[in-house]
Amino acid sequence: MSAKDENVCKEEIYKSIFTAHSKTIFNYIYYKFGNEEKAYDAVQEAFLKLWENCAKVSPTKAKSFVYTIAQNLYLNVLKAEKVRLKYADDTLRVTNESPEYLLEEKQFQEKLNKALSDLPENQRTTFLLNRIDGKKYAEIAEIENVSIKAIEKRMHLALKTLRSKIEGI
Amino acid sequence: MHENYLAKWLANELTAEELEIFQKSDEFASYQKIIKTSEGLKEPSFNMDKALSDSTLKRNTKRTKVIAMHPFKRLMRIAAAVALLFTGTYFYFNSQSNTVETALAENTSLLLPDASEVLLNADSELSYTEKHWETNRDIKLQGEAFFKVAKGQQFTVATANGRVQVLGTQFNVKSRKDFFEVTCYEGLVRVSYDRKTIELPAGTSFLVLYGKVIDSQPTKMLEPSWIRNESTFKSIPLSFVLNELERQYNVTIDAKKIDLSTLFTGSFSHKDLDLALRSICQPTQLNFNLEGNKVLLYAKNAP
Repeated sequence: MSAKDENVCKEEIYKSIFTAHSKTIFNYIYYKFGNEEKAYDAVQEAFLKLWENCAKVSPTKAKSFVYTIAQNLYLNVLKAEKVRLKYADDTLRVTNESPEYLLEEKQFQEKLNKALSDLPENQRTTFLLNRIDGKKYAEIAEIENVSIKAIEKRMHLALKTLRSKIEGI
Repeated sequence: MHENYLAKWLANELTAEELEIFQKSDEFASYQKIIKTSEGLKEPSFNMDKALSDSTLKRNTKRTKVIAMHPFKRLMRIAAAVALLFTGTYFYFNSQSNTVETALAENTSLLLPDASEVLLNADSELSYTEKHWETNRDIKLQGEAFFKVAKGQQFTVATANGRVQVLGTQFNVKSRKDFFEVTCYEGLVRVSYDRKTIELPAGTSFLVLYGKVIDSQPTKMLEPSWIRNESTFKSIPLSFVLNELERQYNVTIDAKKIDLSTLFTGSFSHKDLDLALRSICQPTQLNFNLEGNKVLLYAKNAP
């Protein structure tokens, strides 16, 4: 199959793009605004637009196309809400740690959560995309449409801010 | 050290030398803890299968809309016609007046759009338009009603006998054939009658009988007695008293043999006809005979 035959209008191509990017778009919008419903709508809207323009958008451009649509959807419209992330339930994990240690852990988790939701939106998005979604700085830079260096800066600042918030410095 | 060394550290891009320095620093332990704890963070839940099927559904419905142009157009026409009909009806009914009526021996209360309260006595009719109610509180009344008007713009009660204007007060209007009475219980009421305007302060009444203004006594009551199921009269010709009795009990009174211009002062209950008849007959030296819903009145000294 030559590159010319590849077309987003083809069901399997569309599907593969959807599978590859919908989850990250969802997470990305959620990290930004803290609203799952809006994140879900952004995914729907972005892929609907992709489908409507499937003849015009080549599969290689599809990724940045859907990200741009999703990003622009709430640009200057949506007020960010508190991002609330849960921790993986580790109560079932066999542990020989003392109760004091576990309590301390729990308190630290809560502090981290609060500090995360207080982060500036671009620092939080970068930090979570890297830590939770395992995105490389280069990928995040592509999503955010900035240089890798800028992403590194955000990451660095995110960590610094988190530490000072948690330790109350 | 590298300017964004924390980012470099996470990406394993620090040189061995740099890493060693960083690991020896005081801050290293807390950064490590933050990273370790954040490993426990769960990503938000996202159901990809559902999202994909939703997405497929959405684009298909959109596509159907685009292709099926003609049935849609026809549907639009119908929808437009229906919408027009609804809007038309809405405006028609909105400008129509609301009417409340009471039958004989019945009374009712209602709230006007501005929460003004109206109690409507028996055999009366009241109508008003809801449109522009805030600026134009106009009411038409036939019969008798007690008003508790909420403060606001001018409030007008128009009757066949005269007009009553207030700004916010409590008053009673009774407008019957040859009988027009306005009593003010609170605030100030302006009555227009026969090209004259009279201002009634609280506790006073304005009475017109057979087109003649009658001087009336001030009242000490706070609300008309009919609200408590009693009709009260002060020097009122018997004919009006008997008319009121007929309205309250839905009875016919035959009073051909008596003098109806006799003035009556007193009251009668709306709950017990026998008692009411006695309240009227005793002070006026009359006898009565009650049969079904017919009442015959005759003088005591008559044969």
